[in-house]
Amino acid sequence: MKINYINLFFVLTLLFFVEKIKAQGLEVMPCTETKTINTNHPKANELKALMQELVKQSIPGVVMSIEDKNGVWENAEGYAKLEDLTPLQPCHLQYLGSIPKLYMATVIMKLWEEGKIDLNAPISQYLPMKMSKQVPNSEKITVKMLLNHTSGINEYNDVSAYICQLLQEPKRIFQPEEYLQYIGKKPDFEAGSRYSYRNINYVLLSLIADQLTGNHADYMRKTIFKPLGMSNTFYRIEQGNTYDKRLVNTYWDRYSNNILENSSVLLNTNTASMAGDDGVVCTPADAILFLKGLIQGKIVSEKTLAMMQEWVSDRKGNKRYGLGFAYMEMAGMKAIGHSGGGLGTGCQLYYLPEKKVFIFTAINLGTVTETPIFKEAEKTIEKIYQVLVK
Amino acid sequence: MKQFFLVFLFLAFSVSPSVFAQTDPSDFRNFPLVISLHFHSLSLPFKNLKSNFKNVGIGIGTEITHNGSNNWVQQFNVVWYRNKGIGNGIFFSSQVAWRPHLVGSGNGEIKAGLGYLLAFHPTTSFVQQEGKWIKADRKIKGMWAIPVGIGFGYYYYHPETFVSPFISYQMMLVKGYNASVPLVPQTLIQVGSRIHFQKK
Repeated sequence: MKINYINLFFVLTLLFFVEKIKAQGLEVMPCTETKTINTNHPKANELKALMQELVKQSIPGVVMSIEDKNGVWENAEGYAKLEDLTPLQPCHLQYLGSIPKLYMATVIMKLWEEGKIDLNAPISQYLPMKMSKQVPNSEKITVKMLLNHTSGINEYNDVSAYICQLLQEPKRIFQPEEYLQYIGKKPDFEAGSRYSYRNINYVLLSLIADQLTGNHADYMRKTIFKPLGMSNTFYRIEQGNTYDKRLVNTYWDRYSNNILENSSVLLNTNTASMAGDDGVVCTPADAILFLKGLIQGKIVSEKTLAMMQEWVSDRKGNKRYGLGFAYMEMAGMKAIGHSGGGLGTGCQLYYLPEKKVFIFTAINLGTVTETPIFKEAEKTIEKIYQVLVK
Repeated sequence: MKQFFLVFLFLAFSVSPSVFAQTDPSDFRNFPLVISLHFHSLSLPFKNLKSNFKNVGIGIGTEITHNGSNNWVQQFNVVWYRNKGIGNGIFFSSQVAWRPHLVGSGNGEIKAGLGYLLAFHPTTSFVQQEGKWIKADRKIKGMWAIPVGIGFGYYYYHPETFVSPFISYQMMLVKGYNASVPLVPQTLIQVGSRIHFQKK
């Protein structure tokens, strides 16, 4: 074989080195919108100091919005983009991670109120045959079981093949029905027998809602966003759209070594791919608008709201989930709402019924993979909870 | 890092001390130049085949025989690959390869060993120092890996300079990728050739 391997080797080497890797950030600018953040709020100083502590603990940016008897208070610390040190502001758009599950559940409950869906009917009644066939036990799983995570369907986003594909092809858009290929042929447990949180439940709810409404995202905009005046909320986002450069950049600690990598393209693509279980970006104020509207009965009736708070418990007997609402204890106090996480975000949207406080917090650092940064940050977050429940 | 180089040197000089002293075996010459083209992927074997060919790399190495023949060798390789999705990497490895004769001058190959991966970040990365964010693009992470592979090759000994092409599929189990995913499978599809130079 008379091939000149040496020359070939050097040509290839040259080709590889000349191509530079493009940065994976998105353009973001300081917002021009100015808004009173109520600096006289009695908790303002304490919360601001704790948010600054989080930033010192290597959280790139943190934003918080609260609404209680003293009014609205909003604040942001740190950066929306580290590359050019764009300061984070309350008017920047945040990725909500899983919080949209509460939005999706609200859509389903509105459809139930309209008599378009039976919560106790099997999901095979609403899904097209080709999708229904892919879901093990679809004849036994009811709509309600999807809503409260008792379906027993296997999760898609902890399947190695999915994770590898997501990381390997950060710009690939998934269609909602594609996630069904990762759930396997056997259920994890008998339908309705116990609680186990699964993202796939809410993907299926979005597919069901599409069958009933034509387009569940349009229905959500029409019946929730518009009546509540949520003009800074975007669902089923367009990949790469920075929404007038207001979308935050996001970061993650890929190697768990305190070094943060810009994950904006990855998270943006991932969020653009999600339906039902994720997929919303909005301002903190809009997140509060939604939860406040829901709790105050502006979207669904009081009776429906009560149904959404019929809790299922985990194996230890702790209340975990209703129909879209997650139950948690914030420094020992009951909180209802939802948390969200992703490869570049971590956020919480909760209501403290006892104190009548609405809370939204978000950081632009991924919470789904472990990082030493969280060791200290978790202590600070606990201090924030203590202030909020005071 | 220092620990890795010590282990690598140990493997390089201890696996078969006799080869440095021996004369040429009848059908194999130690220390051929092995050059190869690689396709790297972060994925499970045979899943999403197309993505296996997206990320190209190059490798250089050599090998020594354990038994004086081509069918039982120790390989030493350094592979540099480019991967826009998960970051570039440099992979050092030493593997024992068994090459059973198949047909004519063709042989199979089964190999396994130990490796060390130096992984780069795919995008701009930052670290906070004294309250200020500074770029950390050049920071790399070192991870131990267990490479295993199968392949096929062509080997026809010639007293002058000759080449022996091969193709192989290599899976690396990379340890300590991050705290949430401690073991990550990565794959390398390798195409290359050994150049056995004529001894003067």
